Amino acid sequence: MLEVKELHVRYGNITALHGISLNVAKGEVVAVIGPNGAGKSTLLLTIAGVVSARQGDIMFDGASIRGMAPETLAARGIVLVPEGRHIFGSLTVAENIGLGATTRRDRNQVPADIERVLDMFPVLRERYRQRAGKLSGGEQQMLAIARALLARPRLLLLDEPSLGLAPLIVRQVYEVIFELRRQGMTILIVEQSVHRAVAAADRTYVLNSGLVVMSGRSAVLHGTAAFDAAYFGIDEPAGGR
Amino acid sequence: MIFLQNAIDAISLGAVYALAALGIGLIFSIMRLINFAHGELIMIGGFTLYGLAGQPYLVMALAAVLAVAVMALGMERIAFRPLRNANPATLLVASFAVSYLVQHVILMIFGSRPMGIDFLPELGGSLEFGGLRLPKLQLIAIVATIALMTSLALFFRYARTGIEMRAAAEDFTMARLVGVRANRVIAVAFVISGVLASVVSLYLVAQTGTVSYKMGVNLVLMAFVASVIGGMGSLVGAALGGFLVGMLSASLQAYLPVDLRAYRDAFVFLAFISFLLWRPQGLLVSHADQERV
Repeated sequence: MLEVKELHVRYGNITALHGISLNVAKGEVVAVIGPNGAGKSTLLLTIAGVVSARQGDIMFDGASIRGMAPETLAARGIVLVPEGRHIFGSLTVAENIGLGATTRRDRNQVPADIERVLDMFPVLRERYRQRAGKLSGGEQQMLAIARALLARPRLLLLDEPSLGLAPLIVRQVYEVIFELRRQGMTILIVEQSVHRAVAAADRTYVLNSGLVVMSGRSAVLHGTAAFDAAYFGIDEPAGGR
Repeated sequence: MIFLQNAIDAISLGAVYALAALGIGLIFSIMRLINFAHGELIMIGGFTLYGLAGQPYLVMALAAVLAVAVMALGMERIAFRPLRNANPATLLVASFAVSYLVQHVILMIFGSRPMGIDFLPELGGSLEFGGLRLPKLQLIAIVATIALMTSLALFFRYARTGIEMRAAAEDFTMARLVGVRANRVIAVAFVISGVLASVVSLYLVAQTGTVSYKMGVNLVLMAFVASVIGGMGSLVGAALGGFLVGMLSASLQAYLPVDLRAYRDAFVFLAFISFLLWRPQGLLVSHADQERV
């Protein structure tokens, strides 16, 4: 469904990508992990059209989408939940969720979908009329996911969904990700905290310094010494954020 | 009684400044562009009225609104869209360039002398209310401003495009990521800004009975001051700032010693500078200036 080919990106002060290739099949959950500064966010921002690539190509459903505007890609079903959530803090929870449906043609089905995400995230129902800026970090993350789901994404891009959240909230977020996986959603998830992402994913890519240094089926990769070495980098001390 | 009289003058001037400040604030909130060419939108409205002098007033007014809206769209398309990702300073300089270009094209065609035009001279009269003299034009300015602001508020609150514009004003990249079309919301913002500018033209021409190539310059400077006082990026702030600056200016006109009245604007700017020293971020801070995607 998604195929990233030899992607080179250099742009301002973001981490560069030096020829990354990866693919995501329909219905698959793929994790991209790597230390801070490996280029994970850059990868997602490039796929979503926020950052432009210098070389290489991005194919979606067999056609090149490189260089398309974010709103065009959103209309095609590529939906990003960015790092830091980026909910619209001055808008209400209801307005944030409603904006998720901006690209929908089937307007008459939107109210039912709103009900569905509110069932999924009951806390958002409680705060439906409040300003989103007043929500806690965990609630904002749920709102960001709820907003993304309203677009009925064909490919959901999740950037560090657990970043800065309490463990309990992280578990809730991942329960939702597992639920989406059961429903057959195609997801590309980027994480710094390895274990949950790898557990949720069918396959995993390890990124370091703008390169894919390792990839394979999650179950096989996880816990091997080679995986740890790839993740932490050979020369760097382990555990660096 | 004199006080009430002055208050009405102050409020009506404030209303006009508020409309101009809203036009500037709206564009700034969405694309970080301080559009000094807003004054030329006002001026083009005036010259449209001049060109159609003698037609029914309604035709003149509608044509002015239309012409300014089209002009605003044209500015965006030709001058600002290619610079959309440029930094705010570049955009600002571009708006100066557009401003001077339009001014001087008009100067070349019509010359520098203000030209007289009859537009709604009936509004020059006043209504008497128990000793209170209410100039019709000022009443209309106040009513029209309230009506426009109410409709704008409703638009931003309930219309899908309005909500999309608020989202874009807060976080433009994220708005695009949820599918808000950048070109569309910016175009709508320019059209609204143009309509607001054209209403200011109608007021100015009805009040002064003249048009000139510099007719928008001073007003836009005041409107810019107003939007800074209100807090750049906050629409409520821009409107509030407009009212404050207008009321201050009108009050100075009324209460300064006669000898000093010629220097009214100096006092306005003195107050502005003092205000900035006290509260550089403006009265209302927008939610937009957070980290972006």
